[in-house]
Amino acid sequence: MSDHVDGPRSIGDPSIDLSDLFAFTSPANAGHTVLAANVFPSAGVSAMFSNVVNHSIVVRRMTVAGIGEAAKFKPDEKEFRFNCRFTALERGSDGGSPIQRGNFTFPGGQELSCVVNDEKGASTPDGVFRVFVGLRSDPFFLAWLPAALIKVPNLLQHDNVLSIVIEFDTASVLDPAKGPLFGVIAETSPIPKPPSPIGHEPPRFDWVGRPEQTNMRLNNPAMLGTDDLRDLWNQQTPFAISEELQPVFRKRLVDSLTNWDMRDKKADWTPADLAAAANVYLDDFLLFDVSKPMSDTSFLEIEKSTLHGKAYQSGGGRTVNANVVDMMITWMVNNDREFIQGGALRATKLGVSSFPYLASPNTEIQTVADSAELAAPPEKVWALIGSFGGMWHPLIAKISVVGTGVGQLRTIETIDGKQIIERLDASDDAQKFYRYTLVSGIQAIDYIGTLSVQPKGTGSVVEWKVQFWADGQPDFVVRTIVSTLLKTGFESLKARFGAS
Amino acid sequence: MIAAPDQVLDYPLVTDGEIAVINLASARQQSWSRFWQDPQRPGLAEYIVEQEQMTAQYVGDLRALDRLEMLVNQLDRVSAGAVRTALIHAQVAAMAHRFAEARDHLTQAAARGALPADVERLRLSIDQACGNRLESVLEVRQRMAAESGRLEDLVPLGSLVADLGNFDEADRIYDRALREYNDVSPFAAAWVCFQRGVLWGELVPEPESSRAAVWYRKAIEYLPCYVKARVHLSEIYLESGNVADASSLLVPVISSGDPEVSWRLADVLIAMDRFADAETRMQAARLGFEELLSKHLLAFADHGAEFYSGSGNGARRAYELAAINLANRPTLRAFEQAYEAAVGAEETKAASELLVSARSRWGGTTAFGLSSLAQISASSGKPAGATP
Repeated sequence: MSDHVDGPRSIGDPSIDLSDLFAFTSPANAGHTVLAANVFPSAGVSAMFSNVVNHSIVVRRMTVAGIGEAAKFKPDEKEFRFNCRFTALERGSDGGSPIQRGNFTFPGGQELSCVVNDEKGASTPDGVFRVFVGLRSDPFFLAWLPAALIKVPNLLQHDNVLSIVIEFDTASVLDPAKGPLFGVIAETSPIPKPPSPIGHEPPRFDWVGRPEQTNMRLNNPAMLGTDDLRDLWNQQTPFAISEELQPVFRKRLVDSLTNWDMRDKKADWTPADLAAAANVYLDDFLLFDVSKPMSDTSFLEIEKSTLHGKAYQSGGGRTVNANVVDMMITWMVNNDREFIQGGALRATKLGVSSFPYLASPNTEIQTVADSAELAAPPEKVWALIGSFGGMWHPLIAKISVVGTGVGQLRTIETIDGKQIIERLDASDDAQKFYRYTLVSGIQAIDYIGTLSVQPKGTGSVVEWKVQFWADGQPDFVVRTIVSTLLKTGFESLKARFGAS
Repeated sequence: MIAAPDQVLDYPLVTDGEIAVINLASARQQSWSRFWQDPQRPGLAEYIVEQEQMTAQYVGDLRALDRLEMLVNQLDRVSAGAVRTALIHAQVAAMAHRFAEARDHLTQAAARGALPADVERLRLSIDQACGNRLESVLEVRQRMAAESGRLEDLVPLGSLVADLGNFDEADRIYDRALREYNDVSPFAAAWVCFQRGVLWGELVPEPESSRAAVWYRKAIEYLPCYVKARVHLSEIYLESGNVADASSLLVPVISSGDPEVSWRLADVLIAMDRFADAETRMQAARLGFEELLSKHLLAFADHGAEFYSGSGNGARRAYELAAINLANRPTLRAFEQAYEAAVGAEETKAASELLVSARSRWGGTTAFGLSSLAQISASSGKPAGATP
């Protein structure tokens, strides 16, 4: 599921927090299946995996044990476990950057080691398995405020995650002749230790099956005042939810699905259908059938068809580009009466058709910020720098302004002959601050600058901050340009007003 | 019976400290990027406060306080009247030991409709830090720890119990926190070990240096960059004449910018007869402390006083800072420090008055009975160094 930060426990070590699980047929080889699990929501560019956790993707063969209101999928006892443990950081003799390795164990006992962030990944000599581990652009996108169901831009725009991608030969690993329908989950669990006389390890830290089981269904954000069941759920055994706790989770699912159904003030589900869907959700695994086609729209088709009492047509699963949130919200809110589209059409980057299928990581937003304490009151400083078309910066040879107020454009000609155009986005003379965006002239996108003056003692403090993504130039080149701009500006202000 | 630390075999298995610090820095940076794009995003500013607190506490990056000031300034700009802005203001002010200001923000938060539990939790921490109504704080802490059993509730309880002078009980609580810890973040485990080091190395009336050293070492094993643990362990090494190990603990963390590292390293260099190098380090420490004090006086007044009372060699400045700290939070330890600083600055009358005030405020407690102030009171009724 998408389970980004899905319980109080995961706030401890974000690298063990599982966010998403994918299962699909390889776009590059129809005979191969790809399983992928993501951890560490909003990982920074230098993120690494925890070295004391088992990262597992577990598959079980499934049979359809009931249809319609009795819809049920029964897991086989035998499991196919793909396990990965990561090393601590290793330093080469050349003193270069440290590396980390992921050591895999596959269902047949084969082993394979892969260096984290190696784009090519690693393969077993027989070509049956290929793996990748490392940072990728987060393929999940959530463009809603789920509590109020308000459309917003993608809340995970530009985010990265740590991915574990496993591609394997379907026939030789899963033996689909014995049955092509499978359920899959991913889990992070402790490495076993000798028993302790006091306390015990949790059986697992986190696990995911279908997207948003915890954050949207069990912990429906619109149901204020309900107990947070997420940690309790995360400690359940996948494929075997505790008999004792099933009524608790079932009731919560029914209540939550009822709440979702009424978000548009229309009841599109009958109580019996809701109860049947809750039962299916209670068995939280991602279903996929390797004998049928899986596509960006086949997610949940197996469950829906079975609940409708008919044979499923697709391979279900979950592809990297599937718009799972809108598909789920549509199903929960109006039972697929009409598609509900959130505030974004896709993730930051689309997945790709070649290994490792998840898009390359997003570069990090660059922030250049500085401040200076000046021995002059804020009013005096603001009188100089507070005008958007003010001519005070030593690197500016000429400045002209078109328009007035918010929306005005300033064209700056620098002393070395460059032209920069910027737009005023917000301005508040009382608060002594303005915000502007770049139109052209610096190789960057989403370039936002803010300049402000605040009182400090008998003087003032000027803060200037610029954020951007470098575009067509390395980060450090654009950073140098922007840093020089700020530094020179501050030096001139200190020279004029004196530093406090 | 308390297990000796070297007999405790089942330490929690946690993520490698180097990985955890890389991940903290990378996640923190990511959070800030998101914050500047959307400062009002639910939960984000609160998460940044946690990340910056961890960065200051474990990595010794004290610029975290400056960054948090920037955060609250920005929140003031975009959502000045919000409940969460007041709560975050209170958290940041409490972190900088501006407790009176923190209380004002909490009052505002409550008036704006903050959840009572959120307000009470922070008020509890402030009361504990200021030594206010400790009996009732203890009662609440005990209840919270019993209900949750979580490390984040057990450690503050242990710390309070230690402040109240029940050292064995505090150690038992820390032991339980460590044994029952069910996560893999090394920060929490290192924190418990550090607390146990402080307990046995500094809080007990007769410090057990070797016992403290075991816990500081364990804290550093969990988290190699743990600046405070390195500083405390280096002091123990230096006292025992092990200057080489003391030096090797401190040198790798000079870059943290924490002036305490430069100060302790200067002491080590003096013990190595490297006086010129020591002077350079001492100068860096002095500049570092003064810079911190100029920005965050209340947060570093006690540390500054300790520096100037020691080899920072500024008895008057030490007394001035200790008095500021005492006025801000009149804990028993603040009284002890202020008293020593007054004696060092030859402020005999002030020292006598401090003794009287301390007895008046803390005299009936177990902790006071165990403190150096009680012994001074009992032996002469006059402060050490006082002229007859």
